Order: sequence, then structure tokens, then C-alpha cells
Amino acid sequence: MTILALDGLVKRFGGLTATNQFSADVTEGESLGLIGPNGAGKTTIFSLIMGEHRLNEGAIRLKGEAIQDLPTHARIQRGVARTYQVPRPFAEMTVAENIRVGLTPDSIMAMIFGSSNAAEELALAEAVGFEAADLDRLPNELSMGDLRKLELARTLATGAKVVLLDEVFAGLTVGEIAQISELINEKRRSGMTFVIVSHDLRSLEPLIDRAVAMTAGSVIAEGAYADVIADKQVRDSYLGA
Amino acid sequence: MTSNLNLRHAIYWALFAGLLFAMPYLVSKGDLRTMIFALYVGIFAMSWDFLSGRTGYISFGHPFLIGIGAYATAILSYRFDVPVMFSIPLAVIITMVASTMFILPALRIKGSYFALVTLAFMELMYQLVQVIRPDLTGGTRGISGVETITRGAVNGFYLAAFLAFCVALFLWLLTRTRLGAAQSAIGMDEEALKGSGINATKLKLFTFVVSAAVAGLGGAFYVHYLGSIAPRAIFDINFVFTIIVAALLGGAGTITGPLFGAFFLTFLLEYLRPWLPGAERYLIYGGVALVLYMYQPKGMYAIAAKLRAGVMK
Amino acid sequence: MLQIIIQGLLLSGLYALIAVGFTLIFSVGRVLNLAYGAYLMLGGYAFFYVSQTLGMPKLLGVVAAVAVGVIAGLMKHRFIVKPLKGDMVPVEIATLILAVVLQSAVVLMFGDSSKILHSIIPGVVQVGTVSVPYSNVFAMIVSWTVLIALYLFIRKTHLGRAMQAVSMDQKGAAISGVNPDHVNMMVWGISGGLGALGGVFFASYTQLYPAMWVAPLIIAVAVVIVGGIGSIIGTLIVAHIIGFMEVMTTSLIAPELRGVFTMALIIIVLVVSPKGLFGREEIH
Ligand SMILES: Nc1ncnc2c1ncn2[C@@H]1O[C@H](COP(=O)(O)OP(=O)(O)O)[C@@H](O)[C@H]1O
Ligand SMILES: [Mg+2]
Repeated sequence: MTILALDGLVKRFGGLTATNQFSADVTEGESLGLIGPNGAGKTTIFSLIMGEHRLNEGAIRLKGEAIQDLPTHARIQRGVARTYQVPRPFAEMTVAENIRVGLTPDSIMAMIFGSSNAAEELALAEAVGFEAADLDRLPNELSMGDLRKLELARTLATGAKVVLLDEVFAGLTVGEIAQISELINEKRRSGMTFVIVSHDLRSLEPLIDRAVAMTAGSVIAEGAYADVIADKQVRDSYLGA
Repeated sequence: MTSNLNLRHAIYWALFAGLLFAMPYLVSKGDLRTMIFALYVGIFAMSWDFLSGRTGYISFGHPFLIGIGAYATAILSYRFDVPVMFSIPLAVIITMVASTMFILPALRIKGSYFALVTLAFMELMYQLVQVIRPDLTGGTRGISGVETITRGAVNGFYLAAFLAFCVALFLWLLTRTRLGAAQSAIGMDEEALKGSGINATKLKLFTFVVSAAVAGLGGAFYVHYLGSIAPRAIFDINFVFTIIVAALLGGAGTITGPLFGAFFLTFLLEYLRPWLPGAERYLIYGGVALVLYMYQPKGMYAIAAKLRAGVMK
Repeated sequence: MLQIIIQGLLLSGLYALIAVGFTLIFSVGRVLNLAYGAYLMLGGYAFFYVSQTLGMPKLLGVVAAVAVGVIAGLMKHRFIVKPLKGDMVPVEIATLILAVVLQSAVVLMFGDSSKILHSIIPGVVQVGTVSVPYSNVFAMIVSWTVLIALYLFIRKTHLGRAMQAVSMDQKGAAISGVNPDHVNMMVWGISGGLGALGGVFFASYTQLYPAMWVAPLIIAVAVVIVGGIGSIIGTLIVAHIIGFMEVMTTSLIAPELRGVFTMALIIIVLVVSPKGLFGREEIH
């Protein structure tokens, strides 16, 4: 069943068309790889899904509901969330506090009168591979791998069922790549839906069920990873970049 | 709400209350009057801090809010003989409503532009108050002979101290909840906060309205302490300066810091008086503020923390 | 009618001069310089001191004012902007504090009371039924000259293009061999000089007094917000809108309402089009 439907997405920045009639369907529980050369428009697609950029044309449906006119926070409350290509932790908050913000409900009353749940924060931190001792660390003490883990934890904390991961492996060591991969696979088994962008195709391959290749804002190939990567247009687009 | 409160905090607050209670027995009447002023500045600085200290949305027009509260109660009680016990709560409500009307459109605006709009609000108010219905506002001269609600320094002090204490405790408790964390997140990365599923606009609106309520409350009581009000005394860039500097020197985002910052500034100004009776005082006062701020933008809280860490070593 | 047109033109030219120095800093340095108004105050008082207290030639007074402005701008860059690493909020707050400090320094040296400046060029010229002081005509001519020169400087010279590059992208400019630090320093100097020059004229228009920096700051803010950051042409156009609006309000409605429409305009434009009517953020 389609959980996230992207239908003819067009986004223009002034004279530049970043995405051009981009369409793709994401099935519930699957993991979709979104690949393409630099500047293809992958990050822009994520920003459009999250409502961080306004759509010029097209429709986005989450579980059948059109969400393209909802504000960002409302989309997250409906179950989709993203990580950023360059991690954006809250710089002066500890690991635990960053996760706490992800867990915070969007209600002023609940913020004031509810209390934070340390056990839940710890569980999320441990789920992405942190240890209890890491909870009080600040982002500027963390490695790139840790920052990506933190962002993942904060994203999972929102309760999202569809998670968009932007360049998950950029800047990571081999060990960190293995760790994050394992985490993603574990979440896949639990039924979570992923859309993953990565330049590191070799690390991406084992994490996805299917791939969509795009260039210059449009889809050029779609299907099993091996077929997509063998496609002549896809090869040319990478070579051309 | 209770999770991160502990006995140590309760003891600090009790000591603070005790100190305020004992103050009239400890200091002269003159110092007490200086303290009353410091307490009101402290209330305004805490209101500023609640809005700007954490979220990074700097208000350069806070007297706009204070002025609405002050004028509202002054006009109600002086022109329409509304008893103070009704005019003050009404003034607070008026401040909240009026400021919401102004801020709703401004919520889209970010960064420096927000600061500019608040400055423009203040100047607008300054000019409007003088020309629109001067029969009510008293025009350029303002209103004098507003009913005062306390007699003598001691009573005035207790009232101001009670207000400042309640405001401090209330705002401090608020910022220690997850609300405070979310407010800080606005200042760090508003987009990432939205990306965590939180309606940042609603949060900003709530923060602004609470800040306005406190500013309006402070302004209303202040006018009933002074007994008079005039546009240039309120809608004045030097007043903005005093409020912001008090908040920053005390430690932005800490709520109680700005209250101490207000005491520091007010007494600095007061104790310079015997040596520097004239304008030099403001030069030194501003200079000290500038140097302290350049040295430690996080304020006395951070300096104190540094010193304590140094002593421990 | 003629009166309104002439007064409007004179005032607007001056407003454009005042605002352009402010927009330069906002565009290139990316910070709101709340002490900008203080340049005007410093310029006004420097002129007063040289030409009236010391009795030197008026022209020398103008030169001294500009020099004081440039130095103030450079010092502000060196001692405030650089240590704070151009961080927006701290710079804004520090410049606000600085403005208040400078104001008290002026009170200390020249006293609290306001001073009347002698006309730079005495005499009036009759235009139809309206008599216009030569000084104001001179102010307008100088304003226009400076604005045109600045426009050409930014468009045509190497340094000017470097300024443009930095206003678009600090990092990109650094890569292409422009030192953003030097450009920034230069812009702070130019902005200080422009402000001080504007201050001499503004003070002869109104009065010279220690708190005189607030009103022109608000005007500069208004012009920049409505015109959009960085646009010299936009600055010029909006300075005329605001100048004429003020003159018309003053002579047709009520002098006290003078600034109300300016404020209302700021608020409306910010809400409707937060980048201003001509804004692109980089200078152009
Ligand atoms: N905010 C923006 N303003 C203008 N152009 C943008 C913006 N964001 C992205 N672009 C442009 O859109 C195109 C697609 O960018 P992006 O989605 O980041 O590509 P990818 O993530 O595939 O590398 C690029 O040409 C980029 O320069
Ligand atoms: Mg990208």
C-alpha cells in the first residue's frame, strides 16, 4: 500500500527548476533509495515533503491525505520526518535535551505540565548506539557519526513512521557506517518506511528494497537497484556530473 | 514540571524571599527607594528576557508593551474613576490583547527585522499617544495625579518586591519546563524545531503574550507607584537600553539574572551619584555595560560560574 | 503646492543620504548598526566644534565631521564588530549600548541643551513665492552628488565590485580573492563618513542636541525596510516617498503626525513583503 505519494512535484528557485514533474510512490514498510548526481534535486524533494520549501506545482499525499498545504510541524505530527544533509542539532543542548525536544508534544499545556521521560530519552539514545554516559555530551564534542546518530534519534523521537534520511553516510568512518546500517535494518524489520539519499552507493545497496534515480529534477529510472544502476541514462548522469 | 526542581532551589527561593522581607530593616529609606526602582526595572528586564533571552527574537521596543499597560490603567483610573483593583487587571488584559494584534502579523518576520519592527512599534506609540485623544492621554505632558496605591518607601518596597518575586518565580518555573527547552530551540534553530514537530509560531505567540502580560503588569503597578506618566519617560530608547542591559548583564535566558542585573545597574548609577553628579555618570554606566558585555555576552551568571570554577580548582 | 514640492525634494535628498550609509552596512556587513544614528550626532557636533567653537571655515568643519565619522566607523569595526565576529544579535546590542555611551559623551562635552548651527551658506533663494535657504539647496546637491558617486563607485570600480561580491556571499568572495575583512572595514568607514555628513545637514535642518540620533536612525531604518536592503535606487525612491509623506503630513494634516505614517509604512511593508519593495539583500 502506498504510504507516501509524490505527484508531479515542481519547484523553481527563481529561474532554476530544481525539481521538474517529479513523481514517485513509497510503499508502506519499504526502503527506497533516492540516487542522483549532485544538484539533481534530492534534498529539495525532502524539503518539499517536509514543507520547508513551498511547492510550485504537484501534490504530496501521506496515507492518502494531501499534505502539501500543511505547515511543517503538522506534517511531522502525521508521521513523516527527515534528517539533514548537514546535521542540525540544537547546538547548546546536550544529547538528552536534543532527544527531549523530539519527544516534546506540540501543546503548550503539555510542555508546561507534563514532564520529560528520562527512560524514554535513554532508550532512544541507546537505540541509535549511544551509551548512558553520552547523554550529557554537547554537539560540539560529537563526531560526525555521533551527530548523524543524534539526528536520527531526534527524528525517531517524533514518532515518525516514514523517515527521510539525507546523505546518511557522508563524513562517517567505516565503523560508523556499519553501525548506522545495522540500526536502519533493524528499524526496517520493525516496519518503518525509509527514503534514503546517499552518494555511497555501495553502503546504500544493502539498505534498500528499490531505487529511484533522478537527474536535473526528474526521475530517469526506477526499479530494482541493480537494474537502475545498470541503466545507461543513470550511468551517463553520474559520469556527466 | 517537578522533575528538575529540587530542595536546593527551594532553599534559594526561600532565602531570596526572606532577604526581600528583611530588607526594610537592613537599609536606609533612600536605598529602599532605589531598590523599588530596581525591582520595577527587574520586572521589565525579566519580561524582556522571557521573550528575547532564549528565543533570540530581540525586542528593541519593550517600552511599547510597558506603556500600553501603564497608560491603560492611568486612563481608566484617572479619567474614568475605575478602582485600581479593576483597572490594573484590565490594563494587563488590554496589553495582552493589543500586543497580540500587533505581533500576529510580525510573527513571520525573523532576525534583525523583528528587532526593527519592535523599535518602530515603540516610536509609533510615542507619536500616537501624543496626538490621538490627548484629552485622554494627556498628550505630550502625559498624566499626573494618578492614584498611588502605597504610601511610604516601606510599603512601596513590599509591593514591588512581592510583584518581582512572583514574576521571577513564575517565569523561572515556566522556563524550567519543556517549554523553556523549546524556547531555547527557537533561538538555536527554528527550522529544526519545526522539524521536530513543534508549532514554532504558536510557541512564539504564547511567549510574546506572557512577556506582554508581565510588561503590562509591571507598567501598570509602576504608574500607580510614580503617580504620573509621560510619553518621553516611557517610550524612550534610553529606557530600552536600561532594560536590555540589565537583562544581558544579569545573564540572558536565566530570568533571575536580569533581576540581579537590574539591581547592579540601578545601584551602579546611584553610587556614582556622589562623585559624578552630572552626565559623566551615564558615560561611566554605559561604558561599564559595554565593556562587561563585550567581555562576557552571557552576563554575570557566566562570570560567576567561571569564578566558582576557578575557586574550586 | 510649490512649497510642498520644494520642501519634499530637499528633505528627501537628505533622507536618502542618511539611509544609504545604513543600508551599506546592513547589506555588506550583514548587521544592523543601531549606533548608526550616532554618526550623525558625532558629525553634527564635530562640525559645530570646528566651525563655531573654533571659528574655522565651514568647509573645514564639514571635512572634520566626515573624518570623525570615518574614524568612528573604523573603530567600531575594529573594537566591536570584529571581536564579536560579526554575530548579528550581539553586534546589534553592542551598537545600541555604544550609541547611548556616545550620547552621554556628547552631553559631557557640549552639555544637554540644544545648539543652533549657523547656515553653511547664508542667504535664501526665491523660487516663485517660496524662499529656500541656500544651505538646504547645498545639502541636497551634496546628497545627490554623493549618492551618484557611490552608485558609480559600486558599479564601476574594482573595490566597488568587491563590496558587491562580499554583500552577496562572504565565503564566495573570499575564494575569489577578495578579502571580506578589508572590504568590511572599508564599508564601515564609508558608512561612518556618510552618516556624519548627513548629520551636519540634518543638524542644520533641525537642531543639534545629544538625543538627535534616534530620529534619523528611525528614518534610515524605515527607508531601508521599505526600500529593501542594499538597493541604492530603492533607497532613493523610498527616501522620496517618506520625505514627501512627511512634508505633506506636516503642512496639510498636523505637524505632530509627521512620523506616524512613516512608522505605519514600515510595519505594513514588513508584513506584506518582508524583503522590502526593492530588496535583494546584496548591494546593487
Ligand atoms: N534554497 C535554494 N535557493 C536556490 N537554489 C537552490 C536552493 N536549494 C537548492 N537549490 C538548487 O536546486 C538544485 C537542486 O539542489 P539539491 O536539491 O540540493 O540537490 P541534491 O540534494 O540532489 O544535491 C541545485 O541546482 C541547487 O543549487
Ligand atoms: Mg543534497
